[in-house]
Amino acid sequence: MLDPGGDWLAGRLLTWIPLLLSLAVHEWAHAFCAFQLGDDTAARLGRMTLNPLAHIDPIGTVALPLLGVPFGWAKPVPVNPVRFRREVRMGAGMALAAAAGPLSNFAVALLAVALLAAGAALAPGLVLDGSPLHGLLTTLALINAALGVFNLIPIPPLDGSRIADVFVPERLRPAWHGLEAYAPLALAALLVGPAFLGVSLFAWALGPVQQLLRAVAP
Amino acid sequence: MQPRLRTTAIWLGLVVAFLLLFQLTRREAPIATLPFETFVEYLDQEAISEVRVEGNALDVELHGGAHFRVLGVLAAAQLEKLSALGVIVNEGPAPKGLAGVIPWLLGAVLALAALLFFVRKAGAGQAGVLALRRSRHRVVSAPTGVRFADVGGCDEAKLQLADVVDFLANPERWQAAGVRIPRGVLLEGPPGCGKTLLARALAGETKARFLSISASEFVEMFVGVGAARVRDLFEAAAKQAPAVVFIDELDAIGRRRGSGVGFANDEREHTLNQLLVNLDGFERHARVVVIAATNRADILDTALLRAGRFDRRIVIPPLARADRLRVLEIHARGKPLAADVSLAALAALCDGATGADLEGLVNEAGLLAVRRARADGAGTLEIRHEDFVQALHPAAGGFALRFDQVDALLIESTTRLTQPTGRALVRLTLVEGAVVEGELIWADAVFVKLRSENGAGARIVPKLQIKSIEPLAGTDWAHAELQPNGLR
Repeated sequence: MLDPGGDWLAGRLLTWIPLLLSLAVHEWAHAFCAFQLGDDTAARLGRMTLNPLAHIDPIGTVALPLLGVPFGWAKPVPVNPVRFRREVRMGAGMALAAAAGPLSNFAVALLAVALLAAGAALAPGLVLDGSPLHGLLTTLALINAALGVFNLIPIPPLDGSRIADVFVPERLRPAWHGLEAYAPLALAALLVGPAFLGVSLFAWALGPVQQLLRAVAP
Repeated sequence: MQPRLRTTAIWLGLVVAFLLLFQLTRREAPIATLPFETFVEYLDQEAISEVRVEGNALDVELHGGAHFRVLGVLAAAQLEKLSALGVIVNEGPAPKGLAGVIPWLLGAVLALAALLFFVRKAGAGQAGVLALRRSRHRVVSAPTGVRFADVGGCDEAKLQLADVVDFLANPERWQAAGVRIPRGVLLEGPPGCGKTLLARALAGETKARFLSISASEFVEMFVGVGAARVRDLFEAAAKQAPAVVFIDELDAIGRRRGSGVGFANDEREHTLNQLLVNLDGFERHARVVVIAATNRADILDTALLRAGRFDRRIVIPPLARADRLRVLEIHARGKPLAADVSLAALAALCDGATGADLEGLVNEAGLLAVRRARADGAGTLEIRHEDFVQALHPAAGGFALRFDQVDALLIESTTRLTQPTGRALVRLTLVEGAVVEGELIWADAVFVKLRSENGAGARIVPKLQIKSIEPLAGTDWAHAELQPNGLR
């Protein structure tokens, strides 16, 4: 139900609105987690909010998705590990704050599936395939699952790389940071490469989610 | 609105927008065609809200809003049941209605919003460009607190500038004589010699408007901005006449044209051309005088220096001893000098020092005095001779070393002797007749330091007190011609 067809703009808006909400949750989670660890940088910048307007990047959040580019980003939330509370190790705190974003997306996806299941059990007519509520919940689930998976890829500047930082042994740190220079290339290859090979990473990653959705609300 | 409330409102609005949009565009979605039995099942469950008959197909809508199509024809019994349930049954293709218009409307609104956004942005950009073209000069209207009396030395410059002040105050007197007062005055001299200070003093003396700008402020990333700023500056000056325009560091734009390496710097040359035109374009009664300062008059474009532009060039010479004394006195004003400080002696020591050097010297001595007083825990703070001595030391920020024979002796003794001893044993005869012997261990522009051989410790001697210097026996001098006979 990602694209119900019809007018192209309406169709894009129908994925864009849930995307906007999901990105807001994602960025808020980073800020909230950092704040809990003692860093109020993002909070003082007004980023610790679920308000999507605070997280919008004009290009990455508005222009690209509405133009139909299946790729985007929000304004990054700054995290300053130096400001963490004393008992929080900076590396671990960084990883935790980075992980908060994708984890929050998985939480939203699960919540959407749970609501769908509850709806199917209590009021089947309301969440039937093709109903607006069904559309909202399935879109939310798929988008959030996709966001979560995508951001866990350990390529800078994705969240996954910040998590991976902690697990890289001290010995390999220089090599790891040396690789960072090639990160944009790797990311581009990851985004474009599979399309050339005729496979879709997202279809592969989201297949289980779609199966789950179908199982929950036929 | 409360931020929390606003966030909630935005979320609700977006969710409602999604649901509405979904509902409205849904009809245009390719409708799933399900087996006819599904329709029968839903009919039995009484879940159907609307049926539309279109040829031999049925568009079925459920109470939840779900929508599908089945192929088949309604039996009479089913039609009866539908009407019994109060289900609306229509025939013919679905009316497009609002659903067909909404996406178009949405598109139009969005396009309009985008247009507005870009127009506003472009408008802002226009304003930004206009702001760039404005000159960044500062109008010095409050008294600067600096008068000509506060400038030591530079007597000739002060005389010339006083003419300018008088011209702006009483132009009739000068015009009666039929003379043309210089419209441009170029102050040139080494860094720190007081060019900018003179300009500030002029601002303090004159009652005319004083517009101050640094030439580098004309320079911007964008072509044409420099020239526009020059025009703006001179327009502002003409409007506020009588006025003095002070352009600091003129060489930033006044460099000789066509002197770039490989290619000329067009933008800078535009700026310079505009400046040339504006300098010469004033009518005689405009009562605007341009003062410029530079320490690189040698690289200035010759057109800048011709008569009618910066035709009055004031070279600020190095300070003579008497000037240095006056500068020191000015800077020592209000400072607690100890009785052992002789500014006259200091002025004699500081040969070649500029005004800025001397200001720095007095300031450094003051800082040292505060540090010393704090270390001693002394109650009264006074700047002593020893503070000045320490301040003169190059390592403490004093002015540069000058190479002389003492240095030559030091180098000689460590490197160029037939058998380098690494030691320079010398006998110094001082001006007052005293004789000091010892190993020369250190020297700077002003002082030498000797470690005496008999264990009496080290002694610092001002170079100016040395009448003659001779190497002692025991040091094997390779170069007899280096017999020093007094210092410069």
